[in-house]
Amino acid sequence: MAKFHPELDLLTEHAAGNLPLAQAACVSVHLNYCEQCRRASAQLQSLGATLFEGLPGEPVGDTLLNMVLARLDDAPPLSYASSAGWSAGRTPAILQRLMSGDFTDLVWKKITSTLRISYLKTGDPNYEFALYHIKAGGRIPEHTHRGPEMTLVLEGGFSDADGSYHQGDFLLRQPGDVHAPTAVQSEDCICLAVLDAPLKFTGMPYRWMNPFLQLQPG
Amino acid sequence: MAEIPDGTRGDPQELAGRRTDEWSECLVLIAANQDRAAFTRFFRHFAPLIKAFALAGSSLSASLADELVQEVMLKVWQKAGGFNPEKAAASTWVYTIARNCRTDMFRRLQKFDTPLAEEDVFPDQESEEPFALLQGKRSEERVRELMKTLPGDQMQILAKVYMEGKSHAEAAAELDLPLGTVKSRVRLAIQKLQIQIDR
Repeated sequence: MAKFHPELDLLTEHAAGNLPLAQAACVSVHLNYCEQCRRASAQLQSLGATLFEGLPGEPVGDTLLNMVLARLDDAPPLSYASSAGWSAGRTPAILQRLMSGDFTDLVWKKITSTLRISYLKTGDPNYEFALYHIKAGGRIPEHTHRGPEMTLVLEGGFSDADGSYHQGDFLLRQPGDVHAPTAVQSEDCICLAVLDAPLKFTGMPYRWMNPFLQLQPG
Repeated sequence: MAEIPDGTRGDPQELAGRRTDEWSECLVLIAANQDRAAFTRFFRHFAPLIKAFALAGSSLSASLADELVQEVMLKVWQKAGGFNPEKAAASTWVYTIARNCRTDMFRRLQKFDTPLAEEDVFPDQESEEPFALLQGKRSEERVRELMKTLPGDQMQILAKVYMEGKSHAEAAAELDLPLGTVKSRVRLAIQKLQIQIDR
């Protein structure tokens, strides 16, 4: 069960539908793994519903009603025999949609001997949405963040100076936070990272790579 | 303040009575019989709210607001079979559809080329245990009752965030308040609503 969660204000903005698409997708992946945040999110949505009910209604004429009635036959009711939904344990549906396959089907770009990155396309023009594959025991060179970074563990786990993180754990790093995550020894780690500015390696042997770490949004 | 059900009282019949309001019944009729009369009643009640939601924060033009009303109401027709009156009020269900459609519309207007729809971000939950359903429904009712007790300054910010679709930062700029004040008002409101964030 996830131990690290999005803060309340982030969950609120998510429930209100206000997060940028790439960030919303990342929070949604956390909800897939975390029942307590799903519950909180449901309550935060009923808050929105109560505000919605209280809106002073804007007049809608019968013309619009008749237009909708005329279109009903073109919109046959959906069948709910097998509903897709939150899929605890399995790869979250939203990621499956973005990957159109499994982790092994993706194109991975090698960054270091233990780190590979695969960029997924969310369509969000401002955020990079990428999967990081870190070999068991492998270390991501120490780096800092130029913008906020969301990280979510999908498989395996990693640790840094602040803690150790496992499947479903959600982290929000602020600009200037420096860390050097290391994957657990027992298995490879795959995590999702959402960025609006490229990472910056701080350690000597890797600094030359910084110009090559262009943000890959979209 | 209205009395809040505390989870220990209430016989099953009373609980059942609370769960079936007029709008839930409409949705059940639409799902079961494709009942156009029920759909028309539902439309007359909710279309003005959807239109107001579309226009909140003057984010969409009147013609786009009408387009949103059509989209949402067609989804209501199509998805009525997925509505579970045990789980949520009809208005909560409609609100989430309206929010998703509005977000998708914003992204279309910004020419996002995305494989995702907002429905992917908020998938329908798989059927849960009856006990969890009951708890969810109770906390929804509690939120609805406690909302009446929130002070105006907190309601104002929640309305900006939820109805006008403003980020906390945008709400702060518009109200000429520090971001920290906006965040703490949201936090206070959520505490008062007893929304459980057990960490």
